[in-house]
This record gives sequence, C-alpha cells and structure tokens, in this order.
Amino acid sequence: MNSNTGKGLSVKLGTIELKNPVIMCSGTFSSGIEYNDLYDVSMLGAVTTKSFSLVPREGNKPPRLCETPAGLLNSIGLENEGIDFFINEHLPVVKRSGFTIILSILGADAAEFTNLATKIRKIEDDLLAVELNLSCPNVEKGGITLGSIPDEVENVTAAVRKILNIPVIVKLSPNNNNLAELASRAKNGGAEAISLINTIIGMAIDINTFKPKLGNIIGGLSGPAIKPVAVAKIYNLYKEKILPIIGMGGISDWKDAIEFMLAGASAIGLGTVNFVDYNAGKNILEGIASYMGSKNILNITDIIGKVKVR
Amino acid sequence: MKLIKGEIISNKKIGEGLYKMTIFSPYIIKHSLPGQFVNIKCSSESTIDPLLRRPFSIHDIEPDFKVFSILYVLKGTGTKYLSKLSSGDIADFIGPLGNGITLQENENNNFLLIGGGIGVAPLFFLAKTLSAAGKNVFFAAGFKDNNFLLFEKMLQGLKISYEIYSENGTHGKKGMITDLVIERADDFKKYDIYCCGPINMYKVLQNIFSLKSIKAKALFEEIMACGIGVCKGCVMKFKNGKDGYIYKTICKDGPLFDLMEAIFE
Repeated sequence: MNSNTGKGLSVKLGTIELKNPVIMCSGTFSSGIEYNDLYDVSMLGAVTTKSFSLVPREGNKPPRLCETPAGLLNSIGLENEGIDFFINEHLPVVKRSGFTIILSILGADAAEFTNLATKIRKIEDDLLAVELNLSCPNVEKGGITLGSIPDEVENVTAAVRKILNIPVIVKLSPNNNNLAELASRAKNGGAEAISLINTIIGMAIDINTFKPKLGNIIGGLSGPAIKPVAVAKIYNLYKEKILPIIGMGGISDWKDAIEFMLAGASAIGLGTVNFVDYNAGKNILEGIASYMGSKNILNITDIIGKVKVR
Repeated sequence: MKLIKGEIISNKKIGEGLYKMTIFSPYIIKHSLPGQFVNIKCSSESTIDPLLRRPFSIHDIEPDFKVFSILYVLKGTGTKYLSKLSSGDIADFIGPLGNGITLQENENNNFLLIGGGIGVAPLFFLAKTLSAAGKNVFFAAGFKDNNFLLFEKMLQGLKISYEIYSENGTHGKKGMITDLVIERADDFKKYDIYCCGPINMYKVLQNIFSLKSIKAKALFEEIMACGIGVCKGCVMKFKNGKDGYIYKTICKDGPLFDLMEAIFE
C-alpha cells in the first residue's frame, strides 16, 4: 500500500468506529484465521465471523453448492461448531492476530438470542460488535423466518441489546419488501447499523435428472449476479435515513465497493469474492485508497450516499 | 498454502477431451504431498465466468524442472478455458490444499492403488513417490475405453507393476477394475490400499472390502467454493460413532478419507 493509505479511510456507523470501510461478510471468511496465511487480516476494517449458534449445527444435506451465471447458489444451512467453539478455539487466535471482530450469531427465537448474548457477555470486550443473522434463507427456524417479522426483529434486537454493551448490527434479507419497516424496528430495539443484503432466494434444476441441484432444494444466491439488486436495496434504505448501512452483495472489486458507498453504504462487505480472489480484502482496500487519491477525496465518508440522481 | 501465479510450461491434449497441463512452481514441488490439490482460476482477469475456481489434484511433480502437472477432462466452461491456455501463459492458483498422503505412517511395503477414469491422476503422483521410496506398488486402473493409452506410457516410466481394464475392452482387459479387485481380494489383504475414482466404483469397493475386512483409503471430490475450509460447501457424509454420521469438508478435512467410513446416498 502507498504511504497515504489509511488516511481518510475511517468510517463511523453509530458508535461503531472502523479504521476503514472494508468488512468481511459472515460465512465467507470463517473467523479470518485461514486467510491470515495469505495476507495480514488485521488490516481490514473488521471480520464478521461465520454465524455461531448456541449449540453446534450440522448444516443441510449436500450438495450445498451450485454455480450459476456470475453467481453462487448455496444451501449450507449455517453449519457451525457452536458459540463455545468460537470462544475457546477461534477467539484466542484472532485476538493474538489483532483482527477486529464482529461476531455473527444465530438463534431460533429471542430466548435463544438471549442465551447467546449471555455467553458472549464475558468476551464482549474482545469484540467490536455483534451481528444478528436475521436473514439466512437456508434454515427452518431463525434466519429469514424470524427476520421478516417486524415484531421479532425488534424483540430479538432488544433482547440482545439488554445484555450486551457492545453495538448490535442487524443483517436483513433482500427477500423482504418491507426493509424500511424492519430497519426501523431494529433501530427501536437498539441496533446501530444494518447489514444489507443477505443472499437472494434461488433454485436450480438439473434438466437430465429432473432433480434440484441443491440438496435442500432451495438456496441463497450470492456473487456478482446479485450486485444490482443489492445496490438498489441499499439506495432505497439509505434514503429513509434510519440507520447506517454495511452494504454487501456481489462486490468483486474496488469499483463495486465505491458504487455501494455512493448508493449509501457507510461500509462494505466482501463475501463470495473471497473464494475467487483470496486477497480481495487487501486488494479492494488498496483500490479504494488509490481511487481517493485520483479523485482528491480526502475522506471516504464524503462519498457515502452521494449518487447524483438529478 | 500460497497464492501463486505460475508459468504454464505445456498444455497438451493426451486423449479425447483429456489434457495434461504442466506448471512451473518451486513452491508446489517443495510443499506438496500425493493427494493434495490446487484451486485454479479458470477465467481471464477481466471476466467472472466461470466465477469459482476449480480444484485439480496434483498429478505429478518433477523436482528437477520445478514443475508440477494436472490431468483434466473437458467438462464445462472452466476446463474449456484451461484447454485454450498455452505455454508461457500464467496459471493463477492456490495450493497445495487438503490433506495428502504421508509415508511415515506406513510400515507396509506393498501398496495397491486403484484408479477409475480421471481418478488415476493423483494416484500417479503417489505411485511415483512410493516407488522412489522403494515400495512395491501395484496400480490397478480402470477406464471406459482406450482414451488413457498415453497414461499407460506414463506408468511404464515408473518402476511399478500395473494392470489396466477397460469397459469396452479396447485398453487392457475387458471389464471393470473392480472385477480384478474381487478376483484378487485375498491377495490384497497384505497391501495398503489407496483409491480414487467415481462414487460407483467406491460403492463396489466398499462392499468387497467390508466382506473381506480389508482397509482402504480414498480420495474424494465435491463441488467446491473456497477450497480452504471456510465455506463448508463441499461436504460429504461420514460415519460417526455406532449409528451416527457427520458432515466433513472434502477440501479441508479431506480429500483423503477412510473409504469404509464414507456414507453414500
């Protein structure tokens, strides 16, 4: 990175302060440990962990992946080793490596989120924030089934907020048409930011066997194919001025990252691109810095929501 | 593992829709074990189609020339892209990935390698390694037809014994490679066995080996996204405890597993 990198890159989302706007999306980066072999993950604004639940989840029946044009359809089903595993195994390593961690959590209802928050309380000083996964399309309980009901969004957020002192981020699904209402209710519950978007519900069928290509039949679509949907959802929600937005959904390079910020994202999340360009975090961070240099932008916050619509 | 841009030394068609690509990479030569793989970007820098990288097992390493090879079959847009590359072009890959086969654990002197179709690719690297360590290797390879004639030439360069079967009888003996295994199962009890091939071959081998109480290891494949264990996409079911099962990732927990532990559905 050039000597100017780092200047003017810091952003604030409510009380969440990031040294730069580049965040890794939940489920695409684990806790960052593997990627630290490839580049210094501590340079990132934050790493959002894989969603952890109270007890381990085995995930969905394979096949769990199917590539579609410029996209990836998945039905992983939030396989994870449980919150205790994160606390005991991942946390010591990520702390030692200096990562900034947003812990993503998943529960079936407000009571389960409360139990999770209680467990997290003892480690909250080591976390930047928690992200509530209220948008995964691949689980029977929790995820989108919880996150599409305004009352539940508020209840769950408030339940977690009551226990934790660190900021709460709510991740919402683009499969909802009432995003402004859901974001408002998250705000009422005490959320400081919204992550948008999770994957778009999708399906693929094998025309030779007549069978769905995913074991769970339906899955979530990510990757460049969904980028315009994400940009529009972010643009629309930003106009409502409810909460700051972490924008994500198909970003593959620094140009996409800038586009998301112009649409209204205060920070950007990288997901599927991490499987394609293993150095995406580093490359996109450098790209944003060079863009700022070339456009004489002193602070990246100056471009947030600055799309010229007229 | 390391993200590498390596120069392609050659990319030759060795059969119908079958290619061998050789790539310069001192790092891979130094660090890889038989059974490990590389995840290769199969689109040019300016495009995102196909989006995901494609995993290929390491087929051979030649330390004198600091090159390694992959064998691949033309299947879709990714392999079609690879087939158009030529010497001097750059391959963008990460590796070595997954758990490979280490020799220290094996006191045995006799090894049986069973390969079906393109599954012979990683077993060649294993055969070469075992042979160099002075082990007795018997390579049993099964194909549909005679598309792998040049592969036999490669085997002839190793100090090993081998037998080839083809389904239509145009290469080696007519039949399935599992026919040979059934015929000689009792002899193979004293061998360490490694297999790589299609699921149907594994199902038959599992039946034979369980009847004869023979142990075997196998290399598995699945559609992958990350290749490094973070996305949990490439899972398969394996036995866990008496009646239970567990999902394991092919990319990080594998691709090498105990064949008898695999649950096929």
